[in-house]
Amino acid sequence: MNEKQVHKFINRYLDATECQILEKSPAHFTVKLSPHADRELTNRPYYWSFVDRVNAEPETMTFLFVTDKQKYDAALEATATPPAEQGAEAAGSPEAAANAALGRSLGFVHGSLAAPARIPREDLYFGARKLDQVFDAAKAKGSFVYLFQEPDKRSSNPFSSTPYTAWLGVNLRVEFACDRKREEIHSFGISLATGTCLEHFHERLLTMKLSPRLPANVHITKNGISFNKALTIAEQTLEKKLRSYDYSWAADATARLEEELERINGYYEPLLQNALDENKSAVEEQFTQRQAEIRWQYEPRVTVSAINCGIFHLEGID
Amino acid sequence: MFNSPTSQTASNESGSAIFTRKLHSLVDLQCDRTWFEELQNRLTRGGPWDDWTLYQLTMEAEQAKRIESFEQLLSLRSLPSFEPMPHQISTARKVVHEMGGRAILADEVGLGKTIEAGLILKEYIVRGLAKRILILVPASLVLQWVRELNQKFGIAAVAQKKEHTWGYDVVVASIDTAKREPHRDIVLGTDYDLIIIDEAHKLKNKKTTNYQFANQLRKKYCLLLTATPIQNDLDELYNLITLLKPGQLGGQSEFAANFVVDKRLPKNEDQLQEALSTVMIRNRRGDGGIHFTKRFVKNIPIELSADEKALYDAVTGFVRERYDESGGDMSSMLSLVTLQREVCSSRDAVFLTLVNLFKKTAEDSPLRPKIWELVDKIKNIKANTKAEKAMELVKEFGEKVIIFTEYRATQEYLLQFFRAQNMVAVPYRGGMNRGKKDWMMDLFRGRAQVLIATEAGGEGINLQFCHHMINFDLPWNPMRVEQRIGRVHRLGQTEDVKIYNLCTLGTIEEHIVNLLHEKINLFELVIGELDHILERFENGEGTLEQKLARVLIEAGNDDALKEKLSELGSSLSRIRDEVQTGSSAYAAAPDLLVKLDSLGESVEVRP
Repeated sequence: MNEKQVHKFINRYLDATECQILEKSPAHFTVKLSPHADRELTNRPYYWSFVDRVNAEPETMTFLFVTDKQKYDAALEATATPPAEQGAEAAGSPEAAANAALGRSLGFVHGSLAAPARIPREDLYFGARKLDQVFDAAKAKGSFVYLFQEPDKRSSNPFSSTPYTAWLGVNLRVEFACDRKREEIHSFGISLATGTCLEHFHERLLTMKLSPRLPANVHITKNGISFNKALTIAEQTLEKKLRSYDYSWAADATARLEEELERINGYYEPLLQNALDENKSAVEEQFTQRQAEIRWQYEPRVTVSAINCGIFHLEGID
Repeated sequence: MFNSPTSQTASNESGSAIFTRKLHSLVDLQCDRTWFEELQNRLTRGGPWDDWTLYQLTMEAEQAKRIESFEQLLSLRSLPSFEPMPHQISTARKVVHEMGGRAILADEVGLGKTIEAGLILKEYIVRGLAKRILILVPASLVLQWVRELNQKFGIAAVAQKKEHTWGYDVVVASIDTAKREPHRDIVLGTDYDLIIIDEAHKLKNKKTTNYQFANQLRKKYCLLLTATPIQNDLDELYNLITLLKPGQLGGQSEFAANFVVDKRLPKNEDQLQEALSTVMIRNRRGDGGIHFTKRFVKNIPIELSADEKALYDAVTGFVRERYDESGGDMSSMLSLVTLQREVCSSRDAVFLTLVNLFKKTAEDSPLRPKIWELVDKIKNIKANTKAEKAMELVKEFGEKVIIFTEYRATQEYLLQFFRAQNMVAVPYRGGMNRGKKDWMMDLFRGRAQVLIATEAGGEGINLQFCHHMINFDLPWNPMRVEQRIGRVHRLGQTEDVKIYNLCTLGTIEEHIVNLLHEKINLFELVIGELDHILERFENGEGTLEQKLARVLIEAGNDDALKEKLSELGSSLSRIRDEVQTGSSAYAAAPDLLVKLDSLGESVEVRP
């Protein structure tokens, strides 16, 4: 994700969670978080449990989110220089002299007492912990959906009812792992009416307008297959695809695994033979532990888990 | 709930929702169906349903984070705040892609082993291959590691403080703490995805409890960091490698037969190198480029005023008397030696210690009047010759100067003294909290000409913008002198560094300056060399500091003292010569028993 993409992402997250953007530029947002976003992003569980317990009006935090550090700092520097000069001039003014005198008699007044509340700054770049937190926050409230396609305006004949089909949509992450790892993301849609399975389902959804409300003049086709059947279809489609892949990486990992196990055997077997009786069990335990570690490290595996999923009601009978 | 299992143990635990079948003769396919159960739950309950925009954002985030290939180094795209050097990147790549994540990082000092380890750590985190991480380092480096990982790598590392700290994913701890109960059980009971051990040469002896502890840790990936993997004995190397990959060099007897002629003499070096190349990387400093700007060291001899000299002699007499009375009991004497050192610094320093001593002695003790005599002598002193000299130097430079002293009282005195002469000076000491330290640094950088510091160690004080340094007094622990110099003389310093040692003639200080300067050649050593010199010198029999104090007390008169000090001195210079073995003052780290040149690249480091 580059700076622009991060910026767009944050903008959409703030909108979706109804945060109040106080100020923004292509490089930053100053934003007062909504209660929901505050709970997710500010790491204040004690505060929130207090608010919930006494039913208090929550005071959410305001953040400066910088999405393009370089640009933002450059702009900041450009605006900061003139005021500094002004400051130098002002030092000679009577007002400044008065302030200085006040300072002498009243002692040092900490700037934060006079200034408005501090706005913490977070640089959001790909890899930043705060951005990861935003990712997690999005996921926490972006995992399970139940949506309807909004019909095109032109076909709004009040006397005809458009047939809709329910689809099980799921985005799956496939991990190919040994001591190393790579990933793929697959998106499937299974028609609950017919069992038709579509790949790249998520991309197709992105071209539609979707809403959580059932539109008028729409009827949903009766489901022809069970959810369990739909799940099986999705998994089998994926499995069939995965079977056709090249598994030389797994063969390599297995070879490394065997080699490592052999090496360990070469070390521990003579050690076990020569070990005194009282040490034997300790050595054996360590031997077993080392073998387990090596398997943990190298054993090739493919795991499938869902990123998110939902039921989507789309126009037509498929 | 969608988090994929990062380890096999985890997947076994989550049980029923995971379905496993054979995908390929070598590979099982595991499908996590928790999502499906939850979806059905929500369907029966009629919700709650999530937001479509957040659904899309979740997918976008996952697509951005996706690990496209086995090969790339993904950590690089998420480190905007700094750029690792090419040899660090290639090291990280090699460890992750060719060594299966178990390696000894043995770069020479100053090439950034910490950065390399951080890159590898980040890579495994980004790839979802490591979550539970343990970093074992010497106690003095814990905070530095935590800060580095947080700031440079955006890794939420936590310094181990209490028992519950072990619950965090990335914990930095000292091995001496970790190996003790109640921590021991927790640590040994955890499956760590990655363990990093810094200064791993301290684990070379397999009989030590530290080694045995390290050997019991359960880990998937493991990095051992050391600049000196094989210094004294080939067995050291064997022991280190056994921690990582037991059997890599064969069993103990095969190793001895195949690679060792004598404890200190390898054979079949080519084969040994080949065997090592799969577990060890060692980058070296190049021979070209100048690594650092120069250091100039000057001792400024100071003649004490008559009053000051009188006080010094009186204190020395006082200490000797106590020693004779004690009948040679050393333990109570060490604190008295401090008195002598303090006199050389300022009357304020010695006054404070005397007052404390007075409070501690019984009311009817014959010591009390004697202490008062000394205090009277202090009252006679009207000026501090050293401070005046320091002021003179500061004015002469007309540039920023950092002044180091060992004593708080001296620091206070100097602050006052400089203020009285309209010289802006700011203090810096260990007890300040982080914010105050940063503030003092900013003041020194911006407005003050002088920084007066009692602490050189610790993290974060980098003073490359200053290249004058005055040692108002010298610590007896050479490492602390080295730390002082390191604040100023480091990568990023563009000027030659000038170091001035204020040295009161006819005192113990004169001897110490001579010892550190002439005998160890402390001020011209390369970073890291001092470590080795001291390690060999001390050899487990007490620190140089302790030995010095002993010599000082036991010597009856000045001549005996000189003789004993010169013995100490010559044994130090001998060790220094051994460590440097014919290399120039700016040469790389000390020679190792085995040439490891093929295990890394040569790196030109320029400030």
